[in-house]
Amino acid sequence: MPSNEGWLDRFVDGLPSNPLFMFLARRVLVPYWAWRTPVTPQPGGPRVSIQPGDNVQCMMNLIMPLKDKSPIGRANAAMAISQYKDEIYAGLDNVGTVHFARFVIVDDNICMFSVYDGDFTNYIRDFITTIGSVFNAVVELVEEGEAVIPCEQNVEAFIEWVHARDMYQVPDLATDILKDQKGDKAGSSPDDLRKLPREVVLQLRANPNVSLGGGYRAYPGYSAAQVRQKFGVGW
Amino acid sequence: MGNSSVAKQLVDAIISDFPDHEPGTRPVHTIGVGVEGYFVASEVARTYCIAEHFNGERIRASVRFSNGSGSPVQHDGRSDVRGMATRFHLKNDAATDLIAMTLSEFFVRTVEEFLDFTKASLPKPVQKESPWRKLLDMLQLKLPLPDPMPGQTMGADAGMLDYANRHAFAQLGISQAATIGAPTSYARASYHAVHTFIVTAPDGTRRPVRFSWQPVAGVHVTGPNEPPRDNYLQQELRERLRQWPARFMLMMTIGEAGDALDDPTRPWSDRRVRVVMGTLTLTKVAADQAAASEHISFNPCRLLPGIEVSGDPILQARRDAYEVSRELRHATACPFNRS
Repeated sequence: MPSNEGWLDRFVDGLPSNPLFMFLARRVLVPYWAWRTPVTPQPGGPRVSIQPGDNVQCMMNLIMPLKDKSPIGRANAAMAISQYKDEIYAGLDNVGTVHFARFVIVDDNICMFSVYDGDFTNYIRDFITTIGSVFNAVVELVEEGEAVIPCEQNVEAFIEWVHARDMYQVPDLATDILKDQKGDKAGSSPDDLRKLPREVVLQLRANPNVSLGGGYRAYPGYSAAQVRQKFGVGW
Repeated sequence: MGNSSVAKQLVDAIISDFPDHEPGTRPVHTIGVGVEGYFVASEVARTYCIAEHFNGERIRASVRFSNGSGSPVQHDGRSDVRGMATRFHLKNDAATDLIAMTLSEFFVRTVEEFLDFTKASLPKPVQKESPWRKLLDMLQLKLPLPDPMPGQTMGADAGMLDYANRHAFAQLGISQAATIGAPTSYARASYHAVHTFIVTAPDGTRRPVRFSWQPVAGVHVTGPNEPPRDNYLQQELRERLRQWPARFMLMMTIGEAGDALDDPTRPWSDRRVRVVMGTLTLTKVAADQAAASEHISFNPCRLLPGIEVSGDPILQARRDAYEVSRELRHATACPFNRS
């Protein structure tokens, strides 16, 4: 096809990769649209669902900013975790609903990523019962942690505190982010699909840390207890 | 209105979306290629479904890959849905079909919505968006309209977008169709049967399920900035199969109470139990393409004991619509198996 592109076409088509335009977008357009069309931060953790498959292998992605943002602060966090390894493993065994759990340090955050079965609040309650002392030691190193420790005496506040630091799980289906944003107005008229990129940008501005989608599972739909029972490895 | 009348309406509506449609060819998925191969069910498949092709024996299979368009002009490199229709050849000249496409959900839920959707998708003249309009879109952080493909003068994108913006149920399918791209090979795409079927296990348990083909070679699409090529998919498949068979795993996802059993616009959660039902091995492009690609007629409702249609109105309407299409193009009839 003969090209009928003029210099203006080429200039505009190149804007998305133009550093000046990107600077303008970051500093002016995104704040402007965030002001014009405010987006509410989405809560973390899995969505509420009564379907059995949605209540096994749930993800918790906890991001906790350390108070001491230096190598010493990170080392303190690493030492606290390694010091309590036996308590953590015994606690996880006793909770019985956890598939995987690990602590990770990313920049100046101590993170706990886990995959568990059942209700989130019961999961945290079980943890408080079995490894509350470990949580106290870790949370003490975290910004705004003092208010909820000892966790055994602040159970509901501690659950809320954890929930607030659990990452928003972006829906697997791109258009479902529009439904999340509408919340109770989900039945109202649909949005313009061409605004989807803006909605994603604004949501990621409101929730800078997110889990992208629900994640892959090799054996979806099965609890830790079912897997153990099937393999004959007990409890 | 009778089933055959509705079916004729559906076929006519689809044909109207492709002004250059050639009588005697398929209304959609017109350009295709027939391939030969065989299917072997997994060890566990027979515990979920009593249907003959899941008994573990080697089953001869015929597959037709296709581009989604109903135009007779081949545009392999255009962003478009691709099809994979599979016939399992069973004993005593029986057969069952599984029809799948690269889109994981459909655009509409009912026949009435489908007729509306085809009206909205009637091709209209396409023009490149003016740079000023694009700039305005960018300042609003909106996606500019895509430029027409080389040589494209008519298009359905604007009508489909308008439909999606008026019907929330269609947004997922239309947004995915708009960004689906072109596969580098027919053997490197996932294909989804979209509708819910009911399978029966040896103990009589009936489960709602959806089927997908997963390519063993992995999914791969052409780069978005590559200039589209019009004709490469069939030749690529020939060359690929000359060297080595291509394989697909048949995955079966089991639905739960609360899942959209009769609504093909809603995919199920990835967190449903997923079972590997078997492996399809494609060995060669059929020598007689007239028989293997043009005259063969598939039907998503050509089932056999052990698999039934769900209450999905689109699935049920497809049964008669495919028959009307077959008759219009004088294709080979394949009797239904007691269904």
